[in-house]
Amino acid sequence: MRDGSSRELAARMALLAPFFLLYGVLLVWPLGSMVRQSLTDAAAPYAQVVRNPMFRLAVTNTLVISALTTLCALVLGYLCAAAIWKSAGVARVVVLALVLLPFWTGVLVKNFAWAVLLHDHGVVNSLLQDLGLIRQPLPLLHNRFAVIVGMVHFVLPYAVFPILAAMTAIDDRLERAAASLGASRLNTSRLVVLPLTLPGVYAAALLVFIVSTGFFITPVLLGGPKDMMVANLVEYYARQLVDFPAASAVAVLIVAGVSVLVACYERLPKEGQFGKL
Amino acid sequence: MLLLVCAPIFLYLLVPTLIVVPMAFTPGALLKFPPGGMSLRPFRALLGDPAWVDAAIVSLKAAAVAVGLGGVVATLAALGLHSAKFAGRGVVQGALMVPIVAPLIVLALADYQFLATVRLTGTWLGIGLAHSVLAVPYVFITLQASLAGLDPALLRSARGLGAGHWSVFRHVYLPALRPGLLAGALFAFAASFDEAVIALFLQGPAATTLPVKIFTDIQYDLTPKIAAVAALLVGLATLVFVVQTAVLLRRRSQPRATTAG
Repeated sequence: MRDGSSRELAARMALLAPFFLLYGVLLVWPLGSMVRQSLTDAAAPYAQVVRNPMFRLAVTNTLVISALTTLCALVLGYLCAAAIWKSAGVARVVVLALVLLPFWTGVLVKNFAWAVLLHDHGVVNSLLQDLGLIRQPLPLLHNRFAVIVGMVHFVLPYAVFPILAAMTAIDDRLERAAASLGASRLNTSRLVVLPLTLPGVYAAALLVFIVSTGFFITPVLLGGPKDMMVANLVEYYARQLVDFPAASAVAVLIVAGVSVLVACYERLPKEGQFGKL
Repeated sequence: MLLLVCAPIFLYLLVPTLIVVPMAFTPGALLKFPPGGMSLRPFRALLGDPAWVDAAIVSLKAAAVAVGLGGVVATLAALGLHSAKFAGRGVVQGALMVPIVAPLIVLALADYQFLATVRLTGTWLGIGLAHSVLAVPYVFITLQASLAGLDPALLRSARGLGAGHWSVFRHVYLPALRPGLLAGALFAFAASFDEAVIALFLQGPAATTLPVKIFTDIQYDLTPKIAAVAALLVGLATLVFVVQTAVLLRRRSQPRATTAG
Protein backbone atom coordinates (compact mmCIF):
# COMPACT_ATOMS: atom_id res chain seq x y z
CA MET A 1 0.00 0.00 0.00
CA ARG A 2 1.64 3.23 -1.18
CA ASP A 3 0.36 6.74 -0.59
CA GLY A 4 -0.83 8.26 -3.81
CA SER A 5 -2.13 5.04 -5.29
CA SER A 6 -5.49 5.67 -6.91
CA ARG A 7 -7.32 3.10 -4.79
CA GLU A 8 -6.14 4.69 -1.61
CA LEU A 9 -7.06 8.14 -2.86
CA ALA A 10 -10.56 6.85 -3.64
CA ALA A 11 -10.89 5.48 -0.10
CA ARG A 12 -9.74 8.80 1.36
CA MET A 13 -12.21 10.71 -0.78
CA ALA A 14 -15.01 8.38 0.35
CA LEU A 15 -14.14 9.18 3.97
CA LEU A 16 -14.10 12.90 3.17
CA ALA A 17 -17.36 12.80 1.19
CA PRO A 18 -19.64 13.43 4.23
CA PHE A 19 -17.52 16.46 5.10
CA PHE A 20 -17.83 17.86 1.56
CA LEU A 21 -21.58 17.20 1.66
CA LEU A 22 -22.16 18.75 5.12
CA TYR A 23 -20.07 21.85 4.46
CA GLY A 24 -21.45 22.12 0.93
CA VAL A 25 -25.07 22.14 2.07
CA LEU A 26 -24.75 24.00 5.39
CA LEU A 27 -21.86 26.38 4.70
CA VAL A 28 -20.97 26.93 1.04
CA TRP A 29 -24.54 27.01 -0.26
CA PRO A 30 -25.90 29.35 2.46
CA LEU A 31 -22.90 31.69 2.13
CA GLY A 32 -23.24 31.62 -1.65
CA SER A 33 -26.89 32.59 -1.54
CA MET A 34 -26.05 35.28 0.99
CA VAL A 35 -23.56 36.79 -1.48
CA ARG A 36 -26.17 36.53 -4.24
CA GLN A 37 -28.71 38.32 -1.99
CA SER A 38 -26.26 41.15 -1.47
CA LEU A 39 -25.87 41.58 -5.24
CA THR A 40 -29.59 42.08 -6.02
CA ASP A 41 -30.40 45.10 -8.22
CA ALA A 42 -26.82 45.44 -9.47
CA ALA A 43 -25.31 45.50 -5.98
CA ALA A 44 -27.63 48.31 -4.87
CA PRO A 45 -27.70 47.06 -1.23
CA TYR A 46 -24.02 47.98 -0.86
CA ALA A 47 -24.64 51.57 -1.91
CA GLN A 48 -27.68 51.71 0.39
CA VAL A 49 -25.74 50.34 3.36
CA VAL A 50 -22.64 52.47 2.89
CA ARG A 51 -24.74 55.65 2.64
CA ASN A 52 -26.48 54.92 5.96
CA PRO A 53 -24.80 56.94 8.77
CA MET A 54 -25.32 53.93 11.04
CA PHE A 55 -22.84 52.01 8.91
CA ARG A 56 -20.11 54.58 9.52
CA LEU A 57 -20.94 54.58 13.23
CA ALA A 58 -20.82 50.78 13.43
CA VAL A 59 -17.52 50.56 11.51
CA THR A 60 -15.89 53.31 13.60
CA ASN A 61 -17.13 51.69 16.82
CA THR A 62 -15.86 48.28 15.73
CA LEU A 63 -12.40 49.65 14.90
CA VAL A 64 -12.10 51.78 18.05
CA ILE A 65 -13.50 49.20 20.48
CA SER A 66 -11.45 46.37 18.93
CA ALA A 67 -8.27 48.46 19.00
CA LEU A 68 -8.76 49.43 22.66
CA THR A 69 -9.60 45.83 23.55
CA THR A 70 -6.49 44.59 21.72
CA LEU A 71 -4.28 47.10 23.49
CA CYS A 72 -5.57 46.20 26.96
CA ALA A 73 -5.49 42.46 26.22
CA LEU A 74 -1.87 42.68 25.01
CA VAL A 75 -0.63 44.44 28.15
CA LEU A 76 -2.52 42.13 30.52
CA GLY A 77 -1.81 39.07 28.37
CA TYR A 78 1.92 39.77 28.25
CA LEU A 79 2.09 39.93 32.05
CA CYS A 80 0.01 36.74 32.40
CA ALA A 81 2.18 34.91 29.86
CA ALA A 82 5.34 36.03 31.68
CA ALA A 83 3.89 34.83 34.98
CA ILE A 84 3.15 31.40 33.50
CA TRP A 85 6.55 31.24 31.79
CA LYS A 86 8.50 32.16 34.94
CA SER A 87 6.56 29.98 37.35
CA ALA A 88 7.19 26.29 37.85
CA GLY A 89 5.56 23.24 39.37
CA VAL A 90 2.24 23.65 41.17
CA ALA A 91 2.26 27.44 40.75
CA ARG A 92 2.49 27.02 36.98
CA VAL A 93 -0.42 24.59 36.86
CA VAL A 94 -2.55 26.91 39.00
CA VAL A 95 -1.72 29.98 36.92
CA LEU A 96 -2.39 28.12 33.66
CA ALA A 97 -5.70 26.91 35.07
CA LEU A 98 -6.68 30.47 35.99
CA VAL A 99 -6.26 31.48 32.34
CA LEU A 100 -7.76 28.34 30.79
CA LEU A 101 -10.84 27.92 32.99
CA PRO A 102 -12.51 31.18 31.89
CA PHE A 103 -11.70 30.22 28.28
CA TRP A 104 -14.48 27.64 28.29
CA THR A 105 -17.03 29.82 30.07
CA GLY A 106 -19.56 31.11 27.57
CA VAL A 107 -19.89 34.76 26.66
CA LEU A 108 -23.39 34.95 28.19
CA VAL A 109 -22.33 33.72 31.60
CA LYS A 110 -19.47 36.23 31.57
CA ASN A 111 -21.66 39.10 30.44
CA PHE A 112 -24.30 38.25 33.04
CA ALA A 113 -21.59 38.33 35.70
CA TRP A 114 -20.34 41.73 34.48
CA ALA A 115 -23.88 43.09 34.44
CA VAL A 116 -24.38 41.89 38.04
CA LEU A 117 -21.07 43.46 39.04
CA LEU A 118 -21.39 46.77 37.24
CA HIS A 119 -25.04 47.84 37.25
CA ASP A 120 -26.25 50.78 39.38
CA HIS A 121 -27.19 48.63 42.39
CA GLY A 122 -24.57 46.05 41.49
CA VAL A 123 -21.73 44.58 43.50
CA VAL A 124 -19.14 47.27 42.73
CA ASN A 125 -21.44 50.25 43.33
CA SER A 126 -22.88 48.77 46.55
CA LEU A 127 -19.40 48.10 47.84
CA LEU A 128 -18.18 51.62 47.07
CA GLN A 129 -21.29 53.11 48.65
CA ASP A 130 -20.97 50.94 51.78
CA LEU A 131 -17.38 52.08 52.12
CA GLY A 132 -18.61 55.67 51.85
CA LEU A 133 -16.40 56.40 48.84
CA ILE A 134 -19.28 57.51 46.62
CA ARG A 135 -22.82 58.78 47.23
CA GLN A 136 -24.39 58.30 43.82
CA PRO A 137 -23.81 55.03 41.96
CA LEU A 138 -21.17 55.35 39.24
CA PRO A 139 -22.45 54.77 35.67
CA LEU A 140 -20.47 51.58 35.07
CA LEU A 141 -22.88 49.62 32.87
CA HIS A 142 -24.36 50.28 29.42
CA ASN A 143 -21.42 52.26 28.16
CA ARG A 144 -18.17 51.70 26.26
CA PHE A 145 -16.22 51.09 29.46
CA ALA A 146 -18.38 48.06 30.27
CA VAL A 147 -18.10 46.74 26.69
CA ILE A 148 -14.31 46.88 26.84
CA VAL A 149 -14.15 45.35 30.33
CA GLY A 150 -16.31 42.46 29.10
CA MET A 151 -14.46 42.03 25.80
CA VAL A 152 -10.94 42.11 27.28
CA HIS A 153 -12.07 39.53 29.81
CA PHE A 154 -13.25 37.28 26.99
CA VAL A 155 -10.23 37.65 24.66
CA LEU A 156 -7.45 37.56 27.26
CA PRO A 157 -6.65 33.84 26.74
CA TYR A 158 -6.31 34.51 22.98
CA ALA A 159 -3.60 37.03 23.83
CA VAL A 160 -1.80 34.86 26.39
CA PHE A 161 -1.14 31.75 24.32
CA PRO A 162 0.69 33.17 21.25
CA ILE A 163 2.87 35.28 23.58
CA LEU A 164 3.54 32.31 25.85
CA ALA A 165 4.52 30.21 22.81
CA ALA A 166 7.09 32.86 21.81
CA MET A 167 8.42 33.02 25.39
CA THR A 168 8.89 29.28 25.80
CA ALA A 169 10.82 29.28 22.51
CA ILE A 170 13.50 31.53 24.00
CA ASP A 171 16.75 29.77 24.87
CA ASP A 172 17.11 30.37 28.62
CA ARG A 173 20.90 30.60 28.22
CA LEU A 174 20.34 33.98 26.55
CA GLU A 175 19.06 35.48 29.78
CA ARG A 176 21.95 34.03 31.77
CA ALA A 177 24.38 35.36 29.17
CA ALA A 178 22.84 38.82 29.43
CA ALA A 179 23.05 38.70 33.22
CA SER A 180 26.68 37.54 33.19
CA LEU A 181 27.53 40.42 30.85
CA GLY A 182 26.18 42.79 33.49
CA ALA A 183 22.69 43.52 32.22
CA SER A 184 20.18 44.41 34.91
CA ARG A 185 16.96 42.41 35.07
CA LEU A 186 15.05 45.30 33.56
CA ASN A 187 17.54 45.57 30.69
CA THR A 188 17.44 41.80 30.12
CA SER A 189 13.67 41.98 29.83
CA ARG A 190 13.76 45.08 27.64
CA LEU A 191 16.66 44.22 25.34
CA VAL A 192 16.59 40.40 25.20
CA VAL A 193 13.18 39.00 26.07
CA LEU A 194 10.90 41.65 24.60
CA PRO A 195 12.40 41.67 21.06
CA LEU A 196 12.34 37.86 20.94
CA THR A 197 8.69 37.74 21.96
CA LEU A 198 7.55 40.40 19.47
CA PRO A 199 6.42 37.84 16.84
CA GLY A 200 4.15 36.34 19.49
CA VAL A 201 2.87 39.80 20.38
CA TYR A 202 2.05 40.55 16.73
CA ALA A 203 0.26 37.21 16.38
CA ALA A 204 -1.68 37.83 19.60
CA ALA A 205 -2.58 41.36 18.48
CA LEU A 206 -4.02 40.22 15.16
CA LEU A 207 -5.82 37.25 16.70
CA VAL A 208 -7.40 39.36 19.44
CA PHE A 209 -8.35 42.09 16.95
CA ILE A 210 -9.99 39.52 14.63
CA VAL A 211 -11.95 37.96 17.49
CA SER A 212 -12.95 41.41 18.78
CA THR A 213 -14.40 42.63 15.48
CA GLY A 214 -16.99 39.83 15.55
CA PHE A 215 -18.53 40.62 18.95
CA PHE A 216 -22.31 40.74 18.95
CA ILE A 217 -23.65 39.76 22.39
CA THR A 218 -21.42 42.01 24.52
CA PRO A 219 -22.29 45.36 22.85
CA VAL A 220 -25.99 44.56 23.34
CA LEU A 221 -25.79 43.46 26.97
CA LEU A 222 -23.05 45.71 28.35
CA GLY A 223 -23.03 48.63 25.91
CA GLY A 224 -25.35 51.53 25.32
CA PRO A 225 -27.26 52.35 22.13
CA LYS A 226 -24.24 54.22 20.76
CA ASP A 227 -21.90 51.23 21.09
CA MET A 228 -23.36 49.28 18.13
CA MET A 229 -20.73 47.24 16.28
CA VAL A 230 -20.85 45.81 12.73
CA ALA A 231 -22.31 42.47 13.85
CA ASN A 232 -25.16 44.36 15.52
CA LEU A 233 -25.78 46.20 12.27
CA VAL A 234 -26.31 42.85 10.49
CA GLU A 235 -28.86 41.88 13.13
CA TYR A 236 -30.52 45.30 12.88
CA TYR A 237 -31.00 44.98 9.12
CA ALA A 238 -32.03 41.31 9.21
CA ARG A 239 -34.27 41.13 12.28
CA GLN A 240 -35.50 44.69 12.89
CA LEU A 241 -35.87 45.94 9.31
CA VAL A 242 -36.23 42.47 7.66
CA ASP A 243 -34.00 43.81 4.86
CA PHE A 244 -32.01 40.73 3.93
CA PRO A 245 -30.17 42.16 0.90
CA ALA A 246 -28.79 44.97 3.08
CA ALA A 247 -27.96 42.59 5.95
CA SER A 248 -26.17 40.32 3.46
CA ALA A 249 -24.19 43.26 2.07
CA VAL A 250 -22.95 44.17 5.56
CA ALA A 251 -22.10 40.49 6.22
CA VAL A 252 -20.12 40.26 2.96
CA LEU A 253 -18.21 43.42 3.88
CA ILE A 254 -17.42 41.87 7.31
CA VAL A 255 -16.15 38.70 5.63
CA ALA A 256 -13.98 40.79 3.31
CA GLY A 257 -12.49 42.71 6.21
CA VAL A 258 -11.89 39.62 8.34
CA SER A 259 -10.36 37.77 5.36
CA VAL A 260 -7.76 40.50 4.94
CA LEU A 261 -6.89 40.25 8.65
CA VAL A 262 -6.75 36.43 8.55
CA ALA A 263 -4.49 36.57 5.48
CA CYS A 264 -2.14 38.89 7.41
CA TYR A 265 -2.26 36.48 10.36
CA GLU A 266 -1.35 33.52 8.12
CA ARG A 267 1.60 35.46 6.73
CA LEU A 268 3.06 36.23 10.14
CA PRO A 269 6.33 34.38 10.72
CA LYS A 270 5.69 31.49 13.11
CA GLU A 271 7.45 31.55 16.46
CA GLY A 272 9.47 28.40 15.68
CA GLN A 273 11.64 30.36 13.29
CA PHE A 274 12.88 32.61 16.05
CA GLY A 275 14.20 30.04 18.44
CA LYS A 276 14.10 26.39 19.18
CA LEU A 277 10.82 25.14 20.53
CA MET B 1 7.13 39.41 42.19
CA LEU B 2 5.68 38.88 38.73
CA LEU B 3 2.94 36.73 40.25
CA LEU B 4 2.16 39.59 42.62
CA VAL B 5 1.82 42.05 39.72
CA CYS B 6 -0.43 39.56 37.96
CA ALA B 7 -2.65 38.82 40.96
CA PRO B 8 -5.17 41.56 40.05
CA ILE B 9 -5.28 40.23 36.47
CA PHE B 10 -6.06 36.73 37.68
CA LEU B 11 -8.68 38.19 39.99
CA TYR B 12 -10.19 39.98 36.97
CA LEU B 13 -10.25 36.68 35.07
CA LEU B 14 -11.78 34.73 37.91
CA VAL B 15 -14.06 37.08 39.83
CA PRO B 16 -17.03 37.13 37.43
CA THR B 17 -17.21 33.34 37.47
CA LEU B 18 -16.76 33.25 41.23
CA ILE B 19 -19.54 35.75 41.75
CA VAL B 20 -22.07 33.88 39.64
CA VAL B 21 -21.92 30.69 41.70
CA PRO B 22 -22.79 32.15 45.16
CA MET B 23 -25.42 34.35 43.52
CA ALA B 24 -27.14 31.22 42.23
CA PHE B 25 -27.93 30.30 45.85
CA THR B 26 -29.65 33.64 46.61
CA PRO B 27 -32.48 33.03 49.09
CA GLY B 28 -34.49 36.14 48.18
CA ALA B 29 -36.27 37.11 44.98
CA LEU B 30 -33.67 39.79 44.17
CA LEU B 31 -30.01 39.33 43.32
CA LYS B 32 -27.74 40.63 46.05
CA PHE B 33 -24.08 40.20 46.80
CA PRO B 34 -23.24 38.83 49.26
CA PRO B 35 -26.41 36.77 48.80
CA GLY B 36 -27.13 36.77 52.56
CA GLY B 37 -27.67 33.09 53.02
CA MET B 38 -27.78 29.88 51.08
CA SER B 39 -30.84 28.43 49.43
CA LEU B 40 -31.69 26.14 46.55
CA ARG B 41 -34.69 28.31 45.75
CA PRO B 42 -33.38 29.64 42.41
CA PHE B 43 -32.70 26.09 41.19
CA ARG B 44 -36.14 24.93 42.33
CA ALA B 45 -37.74 27.95 40.65
CA LEU B 46 -35.78 27.11 37.50
CA LEU B 47 -37.01 23.52 37.40
CA GLY B 48 -40.56 24.68 38.08
CA ASP B 49 -40.54 27.14 35.18
CA PRO B 50 -41.61 25.43 31.93
CA ALA B 51 -40.00 28.16 29.80
CA TRP B 52 -36.53 27.38 31.22
CA VAL B 53 -37.05 23.62 31.17
CA ASP B 54 -38.18 23.81 27.52
CA ALA B 55 -35.16 25.94 26.67
CA ALA B 56 -32.88 23.35 28.27
CA ILE B 57 -34.55 20.56 26.28
CA VAL B 58 -34.21 22.49 23.00
CA SER B 59 -30.53 23.13 23.79
CA LEU B 60 -29.93 19.45 24.55
CA LYS B 61 -31.69 18.29 21.37
CA ALA B 62 -29.79 20.77 19.19
CA ALA B 63 -26.49 19.81 20.83
CA ALA B 64 -27.26 16.11 20.31
CA VAL B 65 -27.76 16.70 16.56
CA ALA B 66 -24.59 18.81 16.42
CA VAL B 67 -22.44 16.28 18.29
CA GLY B 68 -23.88 13.28 16.43
CA LEU B 69 -23.76 14.63 12.90
CA GLY B 70 -20.67 16.82 13.32
CA GLY B 71 -18.90 14.06 15.27
CA VAL B 72 -19.40 11.39 12.61
CA VAL B 73 -18.40 13.72 9.77
CA ALA B 74 -15.31 14.92 11.66
CA THR B 75 -14.24 11.38 12.60
CA LEU B 76 -14.45 10.19 9.00
CA ALA B 77 -12.57 13.28 7.82
CA ALA B 78 -9.83 12.74 10.42
CA LEU B 79 -9.45 9.13 9.24
CA GLY B 80 -9.43 10.24 5.61
CA LEU B 81 -6.68 12.75 6.23
CA HIS B 82 -4.55 10.62 8.58
CA SER B 83 -1.01 10.41 7.15
CA ALA B 84 -2.39 11.51 3.78
CA LYS B 85 -0.05 13.11 1.31
CA PHE B 86 -2.33 13.95 -1.61
CA ALA B 87 -2.30 17.38 -3.21
CA GLY B 88 -4.94 19.66 -1.74
CA ARG B 89 -4.67 18.17 1.74
CA GLY B 90 -3.80 21.61 3.13
CA VAL B 91 -6.82 23.15 1.43
CA VAL B 92 -9.16 20.51 2.90
CA GLN B 93 -7.65 21.03 6.33
CA GLY B 94 -8.02 24.80 6.05
CA ALA B 95 -11.62 24.42 4.87
CA LEU B 96 -12.39 22.22 7.90
CA MET B 97 -11.42 25.11 10.20
CA VAL B 98 -13.56 27.76 8.47
CA PRO B 99 -16.50 27.56 10.93
CA ILE B 100 -14.37 28.61 13.90
CA VAL B 101 -12.71 31.45 11.98
CA ALA B 102 -15.86 32.82 10.33
CA PRO B 103 -17.72 35.49 12.35
CA LEU B 104 -20.77 33.91 13.99
CA ILE B 105 -23.03 36.71 12.81
CA VAL B 106 -22.23 35.87 9.17
CA LEU B 107 -22.95 32.17 9.72
CA ALA B 108 -26.13 33.12 11.56
CA LEU B 109 -27.43 35.25 8.69
CA ALA B 110 -26.47 32.69 6.01
CA ASP B 111 -27.95 29.81 8.02
CA TYR B 112 -31.15 31.73 8.65
CA GLN B 113 -31.71 32.51 4.98
CA PHE B 114 -30.91 28.95 3.90
CA LEU B 115 -32.92 27.16 6.60
CA ALA B 116 -35.88 29.47 5.93
CA THR B 117 -36.05 28.14 2.35
CA VAL B 118 -36.27 24.55 3.66
CA ARG B 119 -38.66 25.59 6.49
CA LEU B 120 -36.32 24.62 9.32
CA THR B 121 -36.08 27.98 11.09
CA GLY B 122 -37.72 27.95 14.50
CA THR B 123 -36.94 24.25 15.02
CA TRP B 124 -34.36 22.54 17.22
CA LEU B 125 -33.35 20.45 14.21
CA GLY B 126 -32.43 23.60 12.29
CA ILE B 127 -30.33 24.89 15.20
CA GLY B 128 -28.70 21.46 15.53
CA LEU B 129 -27.86 21.31 11.82
CA ALA B 130 -26.32 24.79 11.91
CA HIS B 131 -24.34 23.84 15.03
CA SER B 132 -23.11 20.57 13.49
CA VAL B 133 -20.89 22.62 11.19
CA LEU B 134 -19.46 24.39 14.26
CA ALA B 135 -18.85 21.04 15.97
CA VAL B 136 -16.73 19.58 13.14
CA PRO B 137 -13.51 21.57 13.76
CA TYR B 138 -13.50 20.81 17.51
CA VAL B 139 -13.85 17.06 17.02
CA PHE B 140 -11.48 17.06 14.05
CA ILE B 141 -8.63 18.85 15.89
CA THR B 142 -8.94 16.52 18.89
CA LEU B 143 -8.98 13.36 16.75
CA GLN B 144 -6.16 14.53 14.53
CA ALA B 145 -4.02 14.89 17.66
CA SER B 146 -5.02 11.39 18.85
CA LEU B 147 -4.15 9.90 15.46
CA ALA B 148 -0.81 11.69 15.27
CA GLY B 149 0.65 9.09 17.64
CA LEU B 150 -0.56 6.19 15.49
CA ASP B 151 2.25 4.61 13.45
CA PRO B 152 1.22 3.96 9.82
CA ALA B 153 3.37 0.79 10.00
CA LEU B 154 0.75 -0.61 12.35
CA LEU B 155 -1.89 -0.22 9.64
CA ARG B 156 0.33 -1.83 7.04
CA SER B 157 1.02 -4.83 9.26
CA ALA B 158 -2.67 -5.19 10.13
CA ARG B 159 -3.55 -5.20 6.44
CA GLY B 160 -0.64 -7.51 5.66
CA LEU B 161 -2.01 -9.93 8.23
CA GLY B 162 -5.30 -9.96 6.36
CA ALA B 163 -7.42 -7.46 8.31
CA GLY B 164 -10.27 -5.94 6.31
CA HIS B 165 -11.37 -2.27 6.44
CA TRP B 166 -13.74 -2.90 9.36
CA SER B 167 -11.16 -4.88 11.38
CA VAL B 168 -8.56 -2.20 10.82
CA PHE B 169 -11.02 0.44 12.04
CA ARG B 170 -12.17 -1.64 15.00
CA HIS B 171 -8.79 -2.85 16.24
CA VAL B 172 -6.28 -0.22 15.11
CA TYR B 173 -8.06 3.12 14.71
CA LEU B 174 -10.75 2.89 17.36
CA PRO B 175 -8.42 2.28 20.34
CA ALA B 176 -6.35 5.27 19.24
CA LEU B 177 -9.44 7.41 18.67
CA ARG B 178 -11.41 6.56 21.80
CA PRO B 179 -10.03 9.15 24.30
CA GLY B 180 -10.05 11.88 21.64
CA LEU B 181 -13.57 10.95 20.61
CA LEU B 182 -14.92 11.54 24.11
CA ALA B 183 -13.04 14.79 24.58
CA GLY B 184 -13.94 16.02 21.08
CA ALA B 185 -17.60 15.20 21.63
CA LEU B 186 -17.55 17.16 24.89
CA PHE B 187 -15.91 20.21 23.24
CA ALA B 188 -18.47 20.04 20.43
CA PHE B 189 -21.29 19.75 22.95
CA ALA B 190 -20.04 22.80 24.84
CA ALA B 191 -19.63 24.75 21.58
CA SER B 192 -23.27 24.10 20.65
CA PHE B 193 -24.69 24.42 24.17
CA ASP B 194 -23.04 27.84 24.68
CA GLU B 195 -23.71 29.26 21.21
CA ALA B 196 -26.14 32.18 21.16
CA VAL B 197 -25.86 34.16 17.91
CA ILE B 198 -26.90 31.48 15.40
CA ALA B 199 -29.50 30.19 17.85
CA LEU B 200 -30.88 33.73 18.22
CA PHE B 201 -31.43 34.04 14.47
CA LEU B 202 -32.94 30.57 14.17
CA GLN B 203 -35.13 30.78 17.31
CA GLY B 204 -38.88 30.39 17.28
CA PRO B 205 -41.62 29.94 19.88
CA ALA B 206 -40.84 26.22 20.00
CA ALA B 207 -37.08 26.60 19.62
CA THR B 208 -35.48 28.91 22.15
CA THR B 209 -32.18 27.63 23.50
CA LEU B 210 -30.81 28.34 26.98
CA PRO B 211 -28.27 30.94 25.79
CA VAL B 212 -30.97 32.73 23.77
CA LYS B 213 -33.28 32.78 26.79
CA ILE B 214 -30.46 34.12 28.97
CA PHE B 215 -29.71 36.77 26.34
CA THR B 216 -33.33 37.96 26.15
CA ASP B 217 -33.96 37.74 29.91
CA ILE B 218 -30.82 39.70 30.89
CA GLN B 219 -32.13 42.63 28.84
CA TYR B 220 -35.23 42.78 31.06
CA ASP B 221 -33.99 41.96 34.53
CA LEU B 222 -31.17 40.23 36.37
CA THR B 223 -32.86 37.44 38.30
CA PRO B 224 -31.69 34.60 40.57
CA LYS B 225 -32.98 32.16 37.93
CA ILE B 226 -30.47 33.46 35.40
CA ALA B 227 -27.79 33.17 38.08
CA ALA B 228 -28.79 29.53 38.61
CA VAL B 229 -28.54 28.73 34.87
CA ALA B 230 -25.24 30.58 34.68
CA ALA B 231 -23.93 28.53 37.61
CA LEU B 232 -24.91 25.31 35.83
CA LEU B 233 -23.07 26.52 32.71
CA VAL B 234 -20.02 27.32 34.85
CA GLY B 235 -20.20 23.70 36.03
CA LEU B 236 -20.20 22.53 32.40
CA ALA B 237 -17.26 24.81 31.59
CA THR B 238 -15.34 23.39 34.54
CA LEU B 239 -16.00 19.85 33.32
CA VAL B 240 -14.76 20.72 29.83
CA PHE B 241 -11.68 22.35 31.32
CA VAL B 242 -10.91 19.26 33.44
CA VAL B 243 -11.26 16.98 30.42
CA GLN B 244 -9.06 19.26 28.31
CA THR B 245 -6.37 19.26 30.99
CA ALA B 246 -6.58 15.47 31.28
CA VAL B 247 -6.20 15.12 27.49
CA LEU B 248 -3.20 17.47 27.45
CA LEU B 249 -1.47 15.70 30.35
CA ARG B 250 -2.14 12.28 28.84
CA ARG B 251 -0.70 13.35 25.50
CA ARG B 252 2.43 14.66 27.15
CA SER B 253 3.00 11.47 29.16
CA GLN B 254 2.46 9.30 26.07
CA PRO B 255 5.45 8.33 23.93
CA ARG B 256 5.07 9.92 20.50
CA ALA B 257 4.88 7.09 17.98
CA THR B 258 4.07 3.76 19.55
CA THR B 259 4.68 0.75 17.37
CA ALA B 260 4.02 -1.64 20.23
CA GLY B 261 0.31 -2.36 20.05
